[in-house]
Amino acid sequence: MSKWRQSVTLRLALAFALLAALVFAALGIYLSRSADRHMAELDAHELLGKLELARHVGRNEHTAAAFAARFGDALVGEHGVIVAVDGQKGPFFSWPDAGKARALAEAATAVGETPLRLAVAGNEYRAVGGTLHTGWGEEARVIVARDIRHHTDFLDQLRRDFWLAVLAAALLTAVVGLLVTRRGLLPVRAIARAAGRISAGRLGERIAEHDVPSELAELVVAFNAMLGRLEESFQRLSDFSADLAHELRTPIHTLRMQTEVSLAKPRSDDEYRDLLASSLEEYERLSRIIGDMLFLAKAEHGLVAPGTAEVPLRGLCQRLVEYYGMLAENLSLELSGDEVGVQGDQLMLERAIGNLLVNAIHHTPAAGRITLEIASQPEFASITVTNSGPPIPADAIGTIFDRFVRLSPDHEGSGLGLAIARSIVVAHGGSIAVHARNQATQFVITIPIHTAS
Amino acid sequence: MKILIVEDEAKTGDYLKQGLSEAGFTVDLVRNGLDGMQEGLGGGHDLLILDVNLPGLDGWQLLKALRAAGRDLPVLFLTARDQVEDRVRGLELGADDYLVKPFAFSELLARVRTLLRRGRVREAETLALADLELDVLKRRATRAGKRIDLTAKEFALLELFLRRPGEVLSRSFIASQVWDMNFDSDTNVVEVAIRRLRAKIDDDFTPRLIHTLRGMGYVMEIR
Repeated sequence: MSKWRQSVTLRLALAFALLAALVFAALGIYLSRSADRHMAELDAHELLGKLELARHVGRNEHTAAAFAARFGDALVGEHGVIVAVDGQKGPFFSWPDAGKARALAEAATAVGETPLRLAVAGNEYRAVGGTLHTGWGEEARVIVARDIRHHTDFLDQLRRDFWLAVLAAALLTAVVGLLVTRRGLLPVRAIARAAGRISAGRLGERIAEHDVPSELAELVVAFNAMLGRLEESFQRLSDFSADLAHELRTPIHTLRMQTEVSLAKPRSDDEYRDLLASSLEEYERLSRIIGDMLFLAKAEHGLVAPGTAEVPLRGLCQRLVEYYGMLAENLSLELSGDEVGVQGDQLMLERAIGNLLVNAIHHTPAAGRITLEIASQPEFASITVTNSGPPIPADAIGTIFDRFVRLSPDHEGSGLGLAIARSIVVAHGGSIAVHARNQATQFVITIPIHTAS
Repeated sequence: MKILIVEDEAKTGDYLKQGLSEAGFTVDLVRNGLDGMQEGLGGGHDLLILDVNLPGLDGWQLLKALRAAGRDLPVLFLTARDQVEDRVRGLELGADDYLVKPFAFSELLARVRTLLRRGRVREAETLALADLELDVLKRRATRAGKRIDLTAKEFALLELFLRRPGEVLSRSFIASQVWDMNFDSDTNVVEVAIRRLRAKIDDDFTPRLIHTLRGMGYVMEIR
């Protein structure tokens, strides 16, 4: 039962069969009824004709014997007809023989001019009865019956044939329905097969979008799009894991090497102290990478919820310039623009803008210039960090906010600064962009002044 | 000063105890919440360092029970999960400060000293170490009687050192106290700042007062 309910093919085939059976059965019942009625009409016509004939002969003849002779002649060649005429003094005409006629007369005492079906000596008859005023002054009752076995046989045969036809039609439509549905659902099987072939290692699988029926095209397109998204994020995830492993391996390798080498022979206290201090630096690096990765992972899952405090951007930038300015002794570092407050998380915004500033300081050649411009529109505030120097290569613009992207190999950063900056800005409902200018690189952060909530 | 540590992780607990003992504190270490409860109620400690994830009675329950019993010693809790809810919960339950693992030991030491000092000592208005003197109210620094010009931040940095002589100050602690930079960035801003401060107060004088502890931070003391 549950399997039937689950199979569209079976259900459709059964529905087709049922429909065909119903239509055929209705048609059969209708035809059989009209055939029946038609036969009855023919019989009635004939029987009433015989009755009329009996009355005509009865009126014109003057003796019972003459009536019998003449009426008997008229009935010659009529097979399956029984006629009984009962006068006041007893029956005076029987056709084809007295036995049948008497049996009929007994069975049909109540029959009038409306044909009735009755059984006489095991056979089906249709009979009419009436009064006959004879020419010799006697009043008699005439009963005319017709054997209708060949009619009923015919009708029975017709019905049997019909039921067979109904059965055949139902079977045929079921089979045809099954085939048609199965064929119609072939693309669904193709989708299922394709889905079956997909695994982590084979996300490149796609279902051909042509020669799919229009009803399923939408499904196939959506399915393929889903695969595309899965493939992309899976790729990103595995790239990320590989990157992470690589990033963690470097400090761990350093730790292991220096510890092994140091332990290989006895050393002075100072050397051991040096080793431990160096290890501490590597541990710090590891902690920082892990902390940053955690932050990014949380941000990616929307778990970083910035506060809604009013953060004065200029004041924040001022402090950042003061702090990081110490790293930029040979550079000119300028802040411009009026104070503007945005709703957000001070610590996070500090971190985002700070990362941009550090990035700019690292990529500005000596005696270069870095500017921070704050601007506000009715809805948005923007912070533009521009540093002089060779602009970033065009092919790096698309990936610069990705994790572990380092443009200058000599720069000892984690490669996460810009990724973190972007995730913070995005968590604030803003956007971040990078532009290559003439001998300068420009990062623009745009943050809504009021958060959506 | 007597400190109680409740920490179930063996190595962490042992090294915390060793580190704090060597920093001059009397330290008791217990490894589960129930012992922590017993010690915390009757041990007469001045500070509790509490790991949140404990077998049996967890850190939150312990903290709640201690506060309910009327023990108001300062509590510093340690958590491995950097979840805002954790922090909020701890502070709501009456903890005074928290640290997220992994943390620098010098950071822990600085927090411990701050908590123990809180509300106890009125901040001094003049600070001195060797021949270095700082008048906090007049914003004036002198060494060997010579006036030294300092920027506001250099002054704040020097004041921080002088208020914590002999304490190792980590770079992130210094960044947070002097510049209010509360995220850990891997830049050497603090190094640069220390170098400049040294140039003004140390380079031309003896003895040198600011010392670098590689990998840990800086300390100001007479060696």
